[in-house]
Amino acid sequence: MVGYKQQPGKLPFSKPGSGGKNSFSKPIEENMIPSSQGGKLQQPWGSHRHDSLVSGQVIGKDTALVDGNWKVTGQAHYGDDVRIKGELIGRIVRSPHHYARVISIDCSRALKLPGVVAVATGVDAKNKFGVLPVTKDEHAMAVDKVRHAGDLVACVAAEDEATAREAERLIEVEYEILDSIHDMRDGLKDSVEPIHDRGKYHIGESNVQKRVFQEFGDVSGMLSSSVASYKEDWVFAGVNHAFTEPHAVVAHWDPTGRLTLYTPQQVPHYVHRALADVLEIPMHQINVHRTFVGGGFGGKSDPFPHEMCAAILARKSGRPVRITFDREEVYWVNRGRHPSRIEMNLHADGEGRICGIETDALIDGGAFASFGHVTTYYNGVLHTAPYEIGSFHYTGARVWTNKPASGAMRGHGAVNSRCAVEVGLDHLAEQLSVDPISLRLANLLPPHSSTITGFRVTSIGMRECLERVRQESGWTKKFRKLPLGKGIGVGCGFFISGSGLPIHWDPNKFPHATVHLKIDMDGGVTVHTGAAEIGQGSDTVVAQSVAEVLGLPLDMIRIKSRESDTSPVDLGSYSSRVTFMNANAAISAAMDIRNNLIDATAEITNSNKQGLIVGDRRIFQKSDPSVGVSYLEALHKAQEDRGALISSGAYRTPPMGKTHKGAAAGLAPAYSFSAYAAEVTVDVETGQINVEKVWAAHDCGKALNPLAVKGQIIGSCHMGMGQVLSEEMRYSRNGSLLNPDLLDYKIPSVHEMPEVTPIIVESNDPEGPFGAKEAGEGPLLPILPAVCNAVYDAIGVRPSELPLTPEKVFNLIEKRCKSEGILEPLHLSPPSLNYSDLQTTLENRASEHSSRDYSRRLDEERSEYYNGALFGLDPSIPPDQTDPSWAVRVTPDPSYLDDPRLAGSAWKHTERRKRGEVE
Amino acid sequence: MPPFKLHSPNSLEEAIEISREISESGLEFDWIAGGTDLIPNYKWHINVKSHVISLASVSELKELSTTHIGAMVRINELASDKHTHPVLAKAAESIASVMIRRSGTVGGNICLDTRCYWINQSESWRESIDWCHKCDCGTGADCRVIPNQNTLCVATYQADLAPVLMCLNSQIHIASPSGKRSMPISDFFKLDGMTRNVLKPGELITHITLPSDSKEWQGDYQKLRQRESWDFPEAGVAVLWKSNTEKEPIQLRVATTGLESIPMLHEDESKSAMENWEGDSSVDELAESIKKAVKPVKNTWFSPSYRRKMVKVLTKRACRGLLVS
Repeated sequence: MVGYKQQPGKLPFSKPGSGGKNSFSKPIEENMIPSSQGGKLQQPWGSHRHDSLVSGQVIGKDTALVDGNWKVTGQAHYGDDVRIKGELIGRIVRSPHHYARVISIDCSRALKLPGVVAVATGVDAKNKFGVLPVTKDEHAMAVDKVRHAGDLVACVAAEDEATAREAERLIEVEYEILDSIHDMRDGLKDSVEPIHDRGKYHIGESNVQKRVFQEFGDVSGMLSSSVASYKEDWVFAGVNHAFTEPHAVVAHWDPTGRLTLYTPQQVPHYVHRALADVLEIPMHQINVHRTFVGGGFGGKSDPFPHEMCAAILARKSGRPVRITFDREEVYWVNRGRHPSRIEMNLHADGEGRICGIETDALIDGGAFASFGHVTTYYNGVLHTAPYEIGSFHYTGARVWTNKPASGAMRGHGAVNSRCAVEVGLDHLAEQLSVDPISLRLANLLPPHSSTITGFRVTSIGMRECLERVRQESGWTKKFRKLPLGKGIGVGCGFFISGSGLPIHWDPNKFPHATVHLKIDMDGGVTVHTGAAEIGQGSDTVVAQSVAEVLGLPLDMIRIKSRESDTSPVDLGSYSSRVTFMNANAAISAAMDIRNNLIDATAEITNSNKQGLIVGDRRIFQKSDPSVGVSYLEALHKAQEDRGALISSGAYRTPPMGKTHKGAAAGLAPAYSFSAYAAEVTVDVETGQINVEKVWAAHDCGKALNPLAVKGQIIGSCHMGMGQVLSEEMRYSRNGSLLNPDLLDYKIPSVHEMPEVTPIIVESNDPEGPFGAKEAGEGPLLPILPAVCNAVYDAIGVRPSELPLTPEKVFNLIEKRCKSEGILEPLHLSPPSLNYSDLQTTLENRASEHSSRDYSRRLDEERSEYYNGALFGLDPSIPPDQTDPSWAVRVTPDPSYLDDPRLAGSAWKHTERRKRGEVE
Repeated sequence: MPPFKLHSPNSLEEAIEISREISESGLEFDWIAGGTDLIPNYKWHINVKSHVISLASVSELKELSTTHIGAMVRINELASDKHTHPVLAKAAESIASVMIRRSGTVGGNICLDTRCYWINQSESWRESIDWCHKCDCGTGADCRVIPNQNTLCVATYQADLAPVLMCLNSQIHIASPSGKRSMPISDFFKLDGMTRNVLKPGELITHITLPSDSKEWQGDYQKLRQRESWDFPEAGVAVLWKSNTEKEPIQLRVATTGLESIPMLHEDESKSAMENWEGDSSVDELAESIKKAVKPVKNTWFSPSYRRKMVKVLTKRACRGLLVS
């Protein structure tokens, strides 16, 4: 208690330094202070620009989520918990047809029903909206056409649910049924009535919504040197996020004429924009209030038609309107992972280098664009790392079909093609008779390098992830050595940590994320952020960042992230951007306040501010801790002339990447890496897979909250296991979704859940907040291929269709039995491995690369490293500058179209504007 | 949930009296026991009735002993009671999840409504496919699984207790305003996905009795499903036998569930296997014959061909106790 005397009546505060539960500050925990600052926290990956901001408060400690108590005591208000006096219940009339033209809608009988207050149809909201500005193709309710069974036709608001449901039946809609398409391959063909009309940008007369062609490197030249290849046509079923809370929304026009929309949204800002477009009112008249979100996973990141409906009904009726979905309706809006057909080709040369990846991905977008424009790119570009590759060819296409729309889902666009790549690598290793982990370790890009597509990769913890799972899983004792029916497999992942390009604005004109702080007399810090807490812990990570920089306990930080009225504009919770961007913005806002406090302390103590450091609720001279003041004292000094302290911090990504068409897709300020090993038991007679154990290593840069990172890893395992084992949106032969419910949409239960050992690898990203990168999506990727590869190890069959239901595995086993002339599956032999000479080559190269990587991660003067060096190119020069064959090609040669791959055939169509039919 | 009037009688007599009154006034009703089957179907507006009679307070139906199982005995109670036949307990334990077992009853499980992708859906979903034969809403709709026949419903019976009770040769006891009757449980089921069993309007199951020699029967129940919890059986095989001192079966019964609209007792197949029992090879033959005897259709999670193949595997596994090797 140095430098403070209580002055009764003047400062009505409790003990100095207080504000939290403890009234006295705690000594600095030396083992939380980085060694670069003289502390005891080891920094094997070098120092970080935020090291000096570490006060030892919360960063790196297991921290319970700050909103956890609300949830566990049942006091958290989710979408459907919002009750406003006088509310009406809204219901949506949905199309029973897959594809039809709406001829007429007669609401007169519904309106006559006592208790019905308002009805709305497509004519009430003609403006289009959509999550991406380039592909706005949705209406609040059908205008002209319905595009899938469950598409919105009309909506009704009534005094209670029973009346609303009755009114729903009384709305009579006349349809003209159109020929629907359900097989994504049909979407590539010309159609009499394409599902959408893109005007002059329409591709042929087809249902192709987006097509991508990308080629880097000398593909055919590289392929000629290949000695092992993998080619497989993969089929992935569509999966849904299956979050706990169905969509729910409450719209309320307040007496001042402003709209407040209560909605469990991941991306409130896009809803804000879409509402303004659809309702034709300025954005400032709308307050989007994000309620607690009962799980999002990408499924609550589009602006939704039912949100528009609620607002329209509320405007028409003059009363608040609440719409809550039942589970079936969740499947009608869907936005889950795209059903996909992916042709994956991998090639390895005689030195065990990955000399070529050729991918062709046809993805089924369902009836609307949603995030699909981006997904089409992600299916290709997100598997150009962590490996150094000799050439890359990608053709992708997204088509409309008459199904509920696909969209963004945890691991957006990367999951399916990653699974195919990692299973392919396992196959290459098998062909080359080498260990698949050794193969991977000998082909990794070094830290601070550039991928073949021009992504700037900073920190890479891939090598450590692989080494840790190899060690902890007992890999060398198990791989190819377990008895029939038991297997172990490995898979890796690579994911963006934030998207480099803000969708709605020029990154140079407005930051990606902004955080405001306000501290008044009481000393508590109010943080305004637009980051959407969806259960992932975004409130907590922002609170932690502020608490750390200001040396305060977490309970002195209060997060206000709910309302667009008070939150700075934020892109929301998607593409794993929140920790990276918002925590960075929060740190910079907190640094501002910190400087104010240090100045004030310097003035009070009359000492040099360079020597002052921030500890727990105390600011003092590092060299003489007795010289200092409490946090509150410094704060009050700083407030003398200006009252409450206010600061603003922002984050924007640095300029990066190439300039070719589509170059921005997949660009991120940092990338996460992960490697999993999964051990499975396969019942060889039934095909039933039990995943027994998973060792899950994830490089999240720095675990700001290890507890939350582990939670994300385990949760990702569960979600990915659902996709690999049993989850599937299953359609009947006539296109009906057969399982829009949680009994037949088979999420693994606790019985199916393996023992997961989360392994956190901290690669200390130079630009991440305190070194952190994402941990929310990347950890999902490796579990799929790890399980597939473990199944191969167990029973010698190579899957190419997900989910791997017992039935599919059994069919593969039966096929193998037949080809080997074995009657009983129990008599099959598991695959075995005898190392070839290449194994030593790979081990040696991995060991060389390991030392190369070690120096590159520490060396501040590190040189440029462009993908291609492994193949003899100069690492310091972009390969396209030395060899023209490495120049990117974004449209196919005419010769390619003679024999295109499946998705590649989308390029056979000519855009309408290029056919001279329109101006 | 569509509106209905709920009656809560306190005795069997009262329950039957209420059922008589409702029937006599020309109205229809459903019995409700644990509600784990009926309530979801009601929420989906599947064959909803205007009256529902709850048996929850009818204490006569809750008796449980070695040879007597009341219709209102909770499945969880049956599974955990130490007097329950071990194979029956195993089947009971495998039903749904523990929360559902605590609510669901033995009578309800035996009377479980048949299930099908085309019927266990919401009203608007079923409307989008123009309904189906089982709940045609007055349209005379065709079966969606096997089209061009609208005489038979092929929805699948997916309950676990029946095959074991069949193999134990248990009697089922029924009451109604017109009196009581009983029959072997294998005669209780009647092939059609809609009627499912011989219960006439107003009749209810009161209890099951097991023969006094049931303890001498041993065997196994094997079940196929995607997940170890919640999921209904995609195929279920019960095999029970009575052995002589050489541990050879002298009597053998096999019953299956989850494959057709009713559970099936395979008497012919068991009989021919027993005619010339030769240990392991007889098990193989039996399994093959059961596989051939079942006729699943495509209306559940796994395909019919896979389910048939698995019937063979499940039968062999249920016969493990008979294997010499």
